Amino acid sequence: MMKSNPKMNFDDLPFEEQEWLDDYLDGTILPDDFAAFQNRLHESPELRAIARRYLAIDDSLRQGIEFDSNAAAAAAATPWLKLEDAPMEDVKVVRFPKLMPIAAAATIAFLLGSAAMMVFRPGETIATVDGQSAEGFAVVEQLFDAEWPNSDSQFREGDTIGAEVFRLASGTAEIQFFSGAMMTVEGPAEISLKSAWEAACIEGSVRMNVPPAARGFKLQAPSTEIIDLGTEFGLEVRNGKGHVEVFDGEIAIRHHGATEQQLVTKGNALGLSPDGPGGPSPIGSVEFPDARMFDSQAKEQQQSDFAHWQAHRDSLAKDERLIAYYTFDRVADDSLIPDLKIPRNTELDGAVVMAEPVDGRWPGMKSALEFRRPSARVRVNIPGDFSAFTFATWVRIDSLDRKYNALFMGDSYETGEPHWQIRDDGALMLSVMVDNSKPNPGALNDAGLHRVYFSPPIWEMSMSGQWMHVASVYDPVARAVSHYVNGKQISTQEIVDKFFINTLRIGNAEIGNWGLPFREDPWFAIRNLNGRMDEIAIFDAALDENEIAILFKNSRSDR
Amino acid sequence: MAHSENTPSALEDARYEIFVAKFAHYEPDLRRFVRSLLPTATDADDVLQQTAIVIWRKFDQYDPETNFMKWACVIARFESLAYRRKMARDRLVFREDVLELMADEGVEEIDSRRAEHEALETCLAAMPEKQRKFVMLAYTSSIKIKELAEEAGSSSAAFYMRLKRFRHQLMKCVEEKTQRMENA
Repeated sequence: MMKSNPKMNFDDLPFEEQEWLDDYLDGTILPDDFAAFQNRLHESPELRAIARRYLAIDDSLRQGIEFDSNAAAAAAATPWLKLEDAPMEDVKVVRFPKLMPIAAAATIAFLLGSAAMMVFRPGETIATVDGQSAEGFAVVEQLFDAEWPNSDSQFREGDTIGAEVFRLASGTAEIQFFSGAMMTVEGPAEISLKSAWEAACIEGSVRMNVPPAARGFKLQAPSTEIIDLGTEFGLEVRNGKGHVEVFDGEIAIRHHGATEQQLVTKGNALGLSPDGPGGPSPIGSVEFPDARMFDSQAKEQQQSDFAHWQAHRDSLAKDERLIAYYTFDRVADDSLIPDLKIPRNTELDGAVVMAEPVDGRWPGMKSALEFRRPSARVRVNIPGDFSAFTFATWVRIDSLDRKYNALFMGDSYETGEPHWQIRDDGALMLSVMVDNSKPNPGALNDAGLHRVYFSPPIWEMSMSGQWMHVASVYDPVARAVSHYVNGKQISTQEIVDKFFINTLRIGNAEIGNWGLPFREDPWFAIRNLNGRMDEIAIFDAALDENEIAILFKNSRSDR
Repeated sequence: MAHSENTPSALEDARYEIFVAKFAHYEPDLRRFVRSLLPTATDADDVLQQTAIVIWRKFDQYDPETNFMKWACVIARFESLAYRRKMARDRLVFREDVLELMADEGVEEIDSRRAEHEALETCLAAMPEKQRKFVMLAYTSSIKIKELAEEAGSSSAAFYMRLKRFRHQLMKCVEEKTQRMENA
């Protein structure tokens, strides 16, 4: 063994060598220094050993290491509020890390200070899909019968909300602040969100649930500030007048400009006028939205959405243009997923390899498949010649770990076979091999003549864990390749003569990975998608914009 | 033929499953090994992918009685050298002799790397939460740290220094933890 003895540590290195290592790692080392660094590496087994260790640790961090969350919880038992003493003004750019549950991401956003949260590079704000925003300190947890006052301020479940005004025309919304506070809003309402710790109720009826961790959450009412001391309370504001009622615990109320606070305890209510807190108000005169009611209603809503989807599934299965349609639920013991197209053809059933059944878009009602493991995949064999392709799927991306992340991939990528995937920057890609006997110009290692049609990025880290509808169309008649997200076209490109092909094939292919090659010279790569797929439909037709929009609408889970 | 039911394709399938299981199991080890030979994490991605391809191609040459990791490292070493030659114009690529030394010694340290990785999980957990979040955010964003710092504008130097300081702390913590284990 080549262990250096006694073992040297990073700290034992001369300062100069430490600096070289850091600069090398960060790609900022100057040419002269790099030459000196290499000379020193060549001479010193100790430096080499430390360099390997340091590079590996850096890489582990970069890969999104999972740490022992129990130990972390114990270490974090110190009150959060203390941490606010040390401002972190030097953090400006923030993205949610991969492999972190939303609650943890929430915590991070909170810890980074509640004032200015996430400032993205201008070109980086990708998530304009359906008005989603990548900034924020709260998340739309659930919606029930929500209607919006105008079309450009619509929210979907899972959307992140930042400093903005949340307007609800009718229905109910549950907003989870990253501080832990939960707000249930009933429309019509207008709530101005200020931070993970503060919001203002301009109009409407809200119920606040504030766990101990979020104690100190402030809700501004007309001329009055309500400071939550760990409790549950309701506030209604109509035409500048308020009514606050404490269901549990206590709150402190302070008139704007005053220094004194007034405590209101459980079972008491207070009127709020523009002049400040008024006298006691009758209990129970206002009906506040109730999160528990909301949960059972949400469940009913889910069941109804699911039933709607089932009807959609059954009618889609009869679409003559379908090549195959998989919904990944009820994976049988023999690990086969049925192709649902009618009439049934069991030859097109898919084989599940290492992909795990997990909750789908309707947890407890429908399952999906997860392709998290590098070897996870669904194998299919689809014979025939086709004249166009439309791929449509409901997918939940947890992170884009690979350079290319597979959705649907022809095994050997021979002439006429498709590759449908997502690049690590979030760009959707569709390509069809035009002629695998000809070289691809400008790309030495590529398999043959083909062209990849990229969309602008459709995904970025803050969308981790959200379900989205993704579709791509290869249309030789219109000579166009188009990409869609949630029913909306996001890009379309021309198929030029050189890359024109109208006899399409699939053959052996994989969902969620790219794999088993049958050719003599197998080109193998791991391209598993770190995420879940709930359904995928493949058509021998180019669906138009309208049809894709309807497909999305009829299959969505968050009506 | 006695084994007529074993069609080539069925055999191929079985072999493939073994390969996939093996590769998936050793991928993190192999990745850490490759990473120490190349300038960036992206380079490591590329070489790792290429290594996977070659391992699969040569999988029928692998003797199941022998150490898979050692065998895989030989291939990864070769692929790293090939990659180096392709990338030689990049000034941050190690010289061939340095790369070879790093690889030969790195092969012997697979277990240490794994122990360090585990220690890192513990060290991260023990870090004050705010610092940990900072580190994890800075690292797991897909933006390069340099760009990140640049974007942060006037305070880029502070950002960078802070990150470096935490990285040093983690390195020290890992070194302490793994040495304590060795001595125990």
